[in-house]
Amino acid sequence: MAQRVVLTGLGVVSSIGFGPEEFAAGLRAGRSGARPISVFDTTGFEYANGCEVVGFDPAEWLRVTDPADLGRASQFSVAAARMAVRDAGLDERQLADKRGLVSVGTTDGEAVDLEALLETSLNRGSAAMDGQVARRAPATMLSLAIARELGLSNVSAYTIATACSAGNYALGDGFDAVRSGEVDFALCGGADAMCRKTFAGFYRLGTIAPDCCRPFDADRQGILTGEGAGLLVLESLDSARARGARIYAEVLGYGLNCDAYHQVAPNQESIERCMRLALADAGVKPHEVDLISAHGTGTQANDVTETRAIRGLYGDRPPRTISVKSMLGHTMGAASALGAIACALAITHGFIPPTINHRSSDPECEIDCVPNVSVEADLRVVQNNGLAFGGNNASVILGKYSEKEFAS
Amino acid sequence: MTIENTDTTTVSPERAARIKTVVCEILEIGEDEVTETSLFIEDHEADSLRAIEILASLEKEFGVVIDQAELPRMVNLRGVHQVTAESAGW
Repeated sequence: MAQRVVLTGLGVVSSIGFGPEEFAAGLRAGRSGARPISVFDTTGFEYANGCEVVGFDPAEWLRVTDPADLGRASQFSVAAARMAVRDAGLDERQLADKRGLVSVGTTDGEAVDLEALLETSLNRGSAAMDGQVARRAPATMLSLAIARELGLSNVSAYTIATACSAGNYALGDGFDAVRSGEVDFALCGGADAMCRKTFAGFYRLGTIAPDCCRPFDADRQGILTGEGAGLLVLESLDSARARGARIYAEVLGYGLNCDAYHQVAPNQESIERCMRLALADAGVKPHEVDLISAHGTGTQANDVTETRAIRGLYGDRPPRTISVKSMLGHTMGAASALGAIACALAITHGFIPPTINHRSSDPECEIDCVPNVSVEADLRVVQNNGLAFGGNNASVILGKYSEKEFAS
Repeated sequence: MTIENTDTTTVSPERAARIKTVVCEILEIGEDEVTETSLFIEDHEADSLRAIEILASLEKEFGVVIDQAELPRMVNLRGVHQVTAESAGW
């Protein structure tokens, strides 16, 4: 029989706070992570704001691994994983030989290191490349480093590269593994570190906002690149009950599809199909959904396409639809993982995080984005969207935990 | 001889040839397939990404900066000549 799957631990590295408490407080207050980018040289760009993680010290979180052996994204990933395990009240030693899954989504992996290697090879020849930097560059490190640092000897650990929806892919992965009884626990989420390549790419596409990200606003000008990591502990309800764990939310289901419609343009019908798949998997009807955490990048194309897809599915009175990217920027592979954590915290603490930086609603985006100020709300079912380039869509459905199994 | 003439700008045959080479490489078509007025998107199967690529490649080719707000004018070779010439101050 399929196991019910619950979220019992959350780990957060973000531009608006570390750990679930600080993150929840930031979401409730509508804190903005936007600031001038300092992690790479922005000479030549007319404007360069981003949502950087400031004040992060990997040494606070790493006990076994030398921080210099990990790239910035892996450092975020491992730190968030340790936080999540601690938050779940799990003893790392007891976890060591349990069957587990470590699944981490990403867009850029350790692109910061790859950029450094390339720069070295162009300026001084490939023989001058730093071996330590080369060793930490593979994207698999984002998940392997977690297993290594936490001493998890009985896990599958892999990194999923479906870019901006990868966090949801990883969550779906963990959900399947726990639901089927294949593993005892899953540590899933996403991580990315801000890099010049992605900033320059989005800048060239004309999709970087000069000041801040204002999703669903008539005057939105695009994304701000962001960074961070979100890791979640998934386990069966039986396991959580047996150890008396706090339950943030239940994972009810997920859906994903790949339409391969266009490199960068989102496809409305395909997004709608993906959301339908998620609801069907969760056994949830549209009218039962209380909140959508949208992909909501703040680009012209995404926001109008996504809200139309939402109305296609939910009709003329869709649930309130927010974008945490207004606060966190676009954290790429971490985005839908941090979105899912925001949803779990919203369910737990009974509030809806706002879409900040909002001035005037775009009549083309016909949703209530909960502008600027969070509101109190009793949330039973929440949908978290992640949409990626290439048409890689993924939606996850979370529900408030109650002893009685959710049934439409 | 000039092959393009607006109020303030001109594109020399040599520059026009370089522009055509850049555009045709990106559109993956032969130089005999494109005319001054054939449309990149409608006639040559380009999309908005290709348009940005053309803009970026012209910036590199001529060492100029072209405002992306000009993209809607860069629909064919004639439009590209005008925008490039204005941006370069030819």
